[in-house]
Amino acid sequence: MTPHQNKRQPIPTSHSATICLHIEALTVLRGQRVVIDRLTHQQDLGQLCILTGANGVGKSTLLRSIAGRLPAESGDIKCHLPRIYIGHADGLAGAISGRKNLQSWAAVNDITVQGDNIEQALAGFDATGFADIPVQLLSRGQRRRLALARLLLAPSPSIWLLDEPTTGLDQDSQIRLETAIANHLLADGAVIAATHSELTSSSPKIHLLLEL
Amino acid sequence: MRPFIAQISRDLDIAWQNRQDVVVMLGFFIIINALFPLAIGPQSPILQSLGIPIIWIAALLSSLTGFDRLFAQDVRDGWLDQISLSAVGLGWYAIAKAVSHWLTASLPLLLITPILALMLDIATTKLPPLMIALCIGTMALTLLGIIGAALAEGARRGSALIAILVLPLAVPVLIFGALAAAVEDGVVSPHLMLLGAMLALLLAMAPPVAATALKIGETESGI
Repeated sequence: MTPHQNKRQPIPTSHSATICLHIEALTVLRGQRVVIDRLTHQQDLGQLCILTGANGVGKSTLLRSIAGRLPAESGDIKCHLPRIYIGHADGLAGAISGRKNLQSWAAVNDITVQGDNIEQALAGFDATGFADIPVQLLSRGQRRRLALARLLLAPSPSIWLLDEPTTGLDQDSQIRLETAIANHLLADGAVIAATHSELTSSSPKIHLLLEL
Repeated sequence: MRPFIAQISRDLDIAWQNRQDVVVMLGFFIIINALFPLAIGPQSPILQSLGIPIIWIAALLSSLTGFDRLFAQDVRDGWLDQISLSAVGLGWYAIAKAVSHWLTASLPLLLITPILALMLDIATTKLPPLMIALCIGTMALTLLGIIGAALAEGARRGSALIAILVLPLAVPVLIFGALAAAVEDGVVSPHLMLLGAMLALLLAMAPPVAATALKIGETESGI
């Protein structure tokens, strides 16, 4: 839940009703170094934003800031949707199975699991076959698929913050991710993804390119 | 409430998979207790008066061993990222961690204490006050532990740092705990009440302190 949810301010644009993310003059420091310098960005519902730029330019920093994981030095981030963050770390406990990880994630987010929601999310990334094995025994790509399965459990609409989501994914899973993103955008969700690979081949339209 | 319970049951699930950790900690607790009679000599009258303090120090030291893992795993595998966006919130998350840690680390110690009391020649009439004082005292120690663990999170040599942070703060718990356990008749003593007051104070203080420490600490821990 965002701290700004209840004090939504009108933003001076023609289509302010559909804006889901508004970043104003955001400056973020890592250590003593300025990583993001007065960044302004605005995103509508149903939009995909691809963050590009060389390594170390601040893509992960920006995503972590939006996720509320890094304090901003100055500036403001307004986000009106539930945020789903998939970072470098998968957020899976190694000792328990992927299915249990997914169930506990749904429970701590107070998402009511109806019927076979979990199964569908697992099937969405073809993860059913290894869902009952302790996560520590899985490969990098398999863990990634379990982490991404959270996206299919998430409330809709929501904003997905994806940090290198395709790391370790095979061809088939990349296509599944692209399909998931396309469906999410059609359902009025929003996506910000930092990626070096082509994510948009099957998405209906590329929307924004944010060069950091 | 459901997200809070879910966090506890997740931790219990993980602890059950890593149950050898509890065995190691219990072994540590038993060995500390066993070393004293060996060093002092079983017949010595000193041992009888030292029995209760020995159990307290052993409980304190063995609960320290678990604190360095309390948040480290969640930070490393990214669960803390998920929690900070979730319906739980970091404060309740810290309480959930304390509850599950007490259940998996302190409760086994309590269960084995009567046997150790026998070994240390503590009279069975002294067991009820000892058990109740230990129960409250370990809860207070666990809350101190989550403060220490949250503050030391991400630091190198975290476990030594936690010991340095927590042990001085644990002194009042140790003093009143040992006094409350050694009352001659009855169970409720002023010392026990003070111990309870410390628990209440820590219950109010520890979650916000731990949550703030985790929020600040993650600034640099994020990959």
